[in-house]
Amino acid sequence: MRYISRRLIHAILLLLAVSFFSFALLQLAPGDFFDAMRLNPEISQHTVESIRSEYGLDQPLPIRYGRWLRSMLKGNLGFSLASNSPVAPLLRVRARNTLLLSGTATLLAWLLALPIGVWSAAKRGGWGDRIGKVATSTILAVPDLLLFLGLLLLAVRTGWFPTGGMVSPGIDGLDFWSQAKDVAFHLVLPAFGLAVVMLPVLVLHVRSAMIEALESPFIRAARGHGIPRARLLFRYALPAASNPLISLLGFSVATMLSTSMLAEVVLSWPGLGPLLVESIFSRDVYVVVAVVMLSSVFLVMGNLLADLLLFASDPRIRTETE
Amino acid sequence: MGPRAQFEAEKPDSLMRIANLSKRYVQRRLLRRTPFTISAFEDVNLTIHRGTTLAIVGESGAGKSTLAKCLALLEKPTTGEIWFEGENLLGFSKRELFGVHREIQFIFQDPTSALNPGLTAEEIIGEPLAIQRIGTKDSKRTRAQELMEHVGLPQRSRHKRPLEFSGGQRQRLAIARALALEPKLLILDEALSSLDLLNQQMILKLLDDLRAMHSLTYVHISHDLRLVSEFADEVAVMSQRRIVEQKPAAELFSRPEHPDTRALLAAMPSLESICLGRLD
Amino acid sequence: MNSRRKLWGALILLAAFHGLILFAGFFAPYGFAVQDRDMSFAPPTRLHFTDAQGKFHLRPFVYGLKDDPANPGAYAADTTHMYPLRFFVQGSPYKVAGLFESHLHFFGVASDGRLFLMGTDGYGRDQLSRFLYGGQISLLAGLLAAALSVALGILVGSLAGFYGGWIDELLMRGSEIFLALPWLYLLFAVRAALPLHIAEWQVFLLLVAVMGVIGWARPARLIRGVVLSAKERKFVVAARGFGASDAHLLFKHVLPQTYGVVLTQIALLIPQYVLAEVTLSFLGLGVGEPMASWGTLLSSLQQYYILSSYWWMFLPALLLIPLFLAYYTTADALQERLKSVSL
Repeated sequence: MRYISRRLIHAILLLLAVSFFSFALLQLAPGDFFDAMRLNPEISQHTVESIRSEYGLDQPLPIRYGRWLRSMLKGNLGFSLASNSPVAPLLRVRARNTLLLSGTATLLAWLLALPIGVWSAAKRGGWGDRIGKVATSTILAVPDLLLFLGLLLLAVRTGWFPTGGMVSPGIDGLDFWSQAKDVAFHLVLPAFGLAVVMLPVLVLHVRSAMIEALESPFIRAARGHGIPRARLLFRYALPAASNPLISLLGFSVATMLSTSMLAEVVLSWPGLGPLLVESIFSRDVYVVVAVVMLSSVFLVMGNLLADLLLFASDPRIRTETE
Repeated sequence: MGPRAQFEAEKPDSLMRIANLSKRYVQRRLLRRTPFTISAFEDVNLTIHRGTTLAIVGESGAGKSTLAKCLALLEKPTTGEIWFEGENLLGFSKRELFGVHREIQFIFQDPTSALNPGLTAEEIIGEPLAIQRIGTKDSKRTRAQELMEHVGLPQRSRHKRPLEFSGGQRQRLAIARALALEPKLLILDEALSSLDLLNQQMILKLLDDLRAMHSLTYVHISHDLRLVSEFADEVAVMSQRRIVEQKPAAELFSRPEHPDTRALLAAMPSLESICLGRLD
Repeated sequence: MNSRRKLWGALILLAAFHGLILFAGFFAPYGFAVQDRDMSFAPPTRLHFTDAQGKFHLRPFVYGLKDDPANPGAYAADTTHMYPLRFFVQGSPYKVAGLFESHLHFFGVASDGRLFLMGTDGYGRDQLSRFLYGGQISLLAGLLAAALSVALGILVGSLAGFYGGWIDELLMRGSEIFLALPWLYLLFAVRAALPLHIAEWQVFLLLVAVMGVIGWARPARLIRGVVLSAKERKFVVAARGFGASDAHLLFKHVLPQTYGVVLTQIALLIPQYVLAEVTLSFLGLGVGEPMASWGTLLSSLQQYYILSSYWWMFLPALLLIPLFLAYYTTADALQERLKSVSL
């Protein structure tokens, strides 16, 4: 219990620091945000002034930070000039889409990485392993951008996959399953691309963790007892190797988020990535900061989740820290 | 009997005196109020006489090594005083201590880890001179050559790296390095333990020659009483983190007073029993 | 040793690549901004050894390009005009290291011929030349940013590892914050905080600075680890026994033990940062036109008709593969050698 609460406090402190960082970023943006807003005839002066005082822009820095933080926690993430609406609802949809994509891609990547990694660890040194290593290195060297563009080209040239977006036009009226299938259809290309990008690193780590587990004395003993190969690999060795792999899971969330941004932009998936890029061009500072904060939250939560999983799976951690 | 007879005859003055030295480690505990204290050694009193070899013996444990490190100023004791040539070292400022390092040197148990594997023998011996800013590049080179000769290392190996030497040679190299600054006191922490019997004898002989040549005083930390009986002038026995006896060697071996000393001596295999054992 | 050969092979490839890009002016047949509106989207020019009459020439040549009457918008070879490939030709002027001007190019054809070994873009600009010049920006950005990150990492890592205590705590907590931020998002966010249209070189420096500063955390932690174990080595304690100052210990004994990790980190970070610069420029947030960065070269691929019709526009991205492969192989080989060397 102590471990969990410690990790939780740690995560919260981290997020606080990140929030401060984002706030500082906000201050960097040149010019008073509200100057542009005032020029916009669609927004009344009264609204501008009330928002301004709500954000307390006339107060000293620490107070501004406090109020900003408080309003953030209440769910008020600022105002988007470009879309002429509060930021929070904008983010909700996009965040959901990003999570859908990242989650699917992570799942896919791990589903592929585990068997490949385990198999190559088992066949270590053989020609299969060597081919695997070469393939992994090559994929690693391919720039993500190229991969996504390649997939886009595939979609454009063959027409087998949609070239962008999450839903086809006119899908609203149909039932849930048709909609779900439609989304899934659009999901294939970006999720696959992301998974392939993540694959090499995962495979390498699974492989090395498995190799270490396979060399441990207790596995050797198990082999001596005549336990069949497959069972040995998956029921004995893999759980033993799970420790570093769970940490890797938490860690891979970070890379996944960064990479998914590019995938979303190139393959036109309506997630946080394209939102971020658009808002940079339209100087929509609040959106930018909100997106950065949100993605950090995802990241920290991902790591926290990994820590909790580790705690649940590894009894040593439980006894060590009590 | 050379130096030993001299020792009996003259009244040697004390080079270093240790008074009430203690070293304690304090660990703060997460949720309890009182911190957890481990003591490496307590209330140690020692006198090291100029020109002699003092052996500190006792059960295996970190106490002796930590004491040795404190004597060599590699660690700071918690309480007590260290008097060297009449001055209290623990009152010295950093700058004054800088000079004292030239007087007291330390030889480690494992010469391999005590030598930087990336440097050549010449560089290793020259390093203390460089740190203390003595001499030019040429004078350092000459001194290194000189010292290598003194310890019996061939000149042609001065560009070799530690790993290219044998275990015994590495210890010689460490000794050469320790002598670079012309120290008065040499502290050897189980310096012979990692060597085979032949090398042990050779190094002991080397140390004996060097003592006369350079007017050195030695403090040996050792758990090997057999060896100690061969080379020590005085012996101090350490037990339960304290020094329980300090006497001239001959006296200690023939008339041990403290019960722990007796226990230690009793555990030591005698020469006769070893020989008898081999005959079976 | 297998890792030794791999290392040397990778290093030679890297040296060649960087050499070509460093002397882009010399190796590129054209300047990066030279436009030829008549030759928009021309496919890569083919080198021929045998001409239309079947005669073999030792010196390769290219045909002139003219519009293809059968396919509007496409080009056909004009077999009446042959332009032999020459080496060390005079061409458009360029500056060597920004200092003196030169007209000498490694290879080229006569001025009324066209040599587009990687095709042209919409403005008729030679892609090969733009690739070489673009490398100067993208590669330099990666190199500088990696150097900065690692330098900061060494600074922080050595201080934290060597002195321990509260310095260590503080610095490591700080590094956790930086690791918690998804760095690409952060890079974009900082880019957003800056004015959109500022001078080229300012964008460049800012990018390098931001990438470099954001990325210090991981190298710092790795170096700290090495320093922690290095400072416990007995020969470091021995040097203390000679009265060595902290600086002496750090520079003479501890830091040399970090070289392996430092080099490996650099080899891993450079491709990462190059890719970051490429991504930014691809999206129009980095160095802009007419400066060629590899990202700008690729940005036109966002339009479907270019993506599907003009395959040679992919080439700059494909050429990155061997480059990155070389860097990763170097990092790999270095790690292998490290493992076998450490005692």
